[in-house]
Amino acid sequence: MTQPEEFGFSVEETRIIRQRQAARSRIMGVILVALCVLFFLITVAKIGIWG
Amino acid sequence: MTTATHNISLPAEWRDFWALTKPRVMSLVVFTALCGLLAAPGHIHPVIGFTAILCIALGAGACGALNQWYEVEVDAKMARTSKRPLPAGRMDREAALHFGIALAAFSVGIMGVAVNWISAALLAFSIFFYAVVYTIWLKPNTPQNIVIGGAAGAFPPVIGWAAVTGDVTLLPVLLFSIIFLWTPPHFWALALFMKTDYGAAGIPMLPNVSGQRVTRNQIFAYSFPMAITAVTPFILGESGWLYGIASMVLNVIFLGLAFLVWRNEANEASGMKPEKRLFAFSILYLFLLFAVFAFDRMMFA
Repeated sequence: MTQPEEFGFSVEETRIIRQRQAARSRIMGVILVALCVLFFLITVAKIGIWG
Repeated sequence: MTTATHNISLPAEWRDFWALTKPRVMSLVVFTALCGLLAAPGHIHPVIGFTAILCIALGAGACGALNQWYEVEVDAKMARTSKRPLPAGRMDREAALHFGIALAAFSVGIMGVAVNWISAALLAFSIFFYAVVYTIWLKPNTPQNIVIGGAAGAFPPVIGWAAVTGDVTLLPVLLFSIIFLWTPPHFWALALFMKTDYGAAGIPMLPNVSGQRVTRNQIFAYSFPMAITAVTPFILGESGWLYGIASMVLNVIFLGLAFLVWRNEANEASGMKPEKRLFAFSILYLFLLFAVFAFDRMMFA
């Protein structure tokens, strides 16, 4: 994977990039899990198991 | 954010993506959509109802993102909007465009598959109307921008209704008309005391183009059809006494505040208390009107 340093980013900028990437990855993970749960519930509702 | 040594942007923070969706506007959209959904006759599974509201919220978020993507230069010129992620340089335009398109496609797709394709088509049209017809075409070109553009904000209760029934009848059209006619007095009250901000950005809002007297006349004039439309569900027997009384009280207060705006002659923002009062009350008016309507329909219809 290409590293931020290779584009001439400073150490501080690299730290900020890593921090933001980690935060965005965490949010994306939460959203994906929530969507999995939602799609499962939609499927169950559409099948009509819960009336 | 772009650094001095290279042209590669730092990735935006997730909070900036959230800000791109205009969360405060989204809250009013979600609320009116929920009221449309609750007021509709028939039954919707709670999970499907939740999905419908979620899709409407995501669609509203898409509108906000696409609007900010297109208006970055305009936003930079106004104090009220200059701290948004794009004009503040915290995000590049391409990211905002991709985010907006992704939200729009995702919300319409899920609405169609999980709820029904009528509500999905309405959602798609409302996003198109806000992002293209209002933002790109009307807003920079005509002082009537928010009159016609107000239709975009009037769609949510219709979409909420269509999510339950799969069709659009007279009552959701009335809900649409209430928001449509409410938008001009609401926005022009804001435009009066934000006149210099809009003027600096070169947006042809009515106070900048036709003057404050014409704007105040228009605010007062629009308040009457709005008030009549708001009580029409009761007159037609589509709601109970609770909504009838609440809508009459709210409309009397609204008309009273609009009258004070009409009488005001102040040219500076400091003398525009009636305008600020009307703007603040107009938000409360819409919240209460729709809340009572949904409650009334759920209890007595």
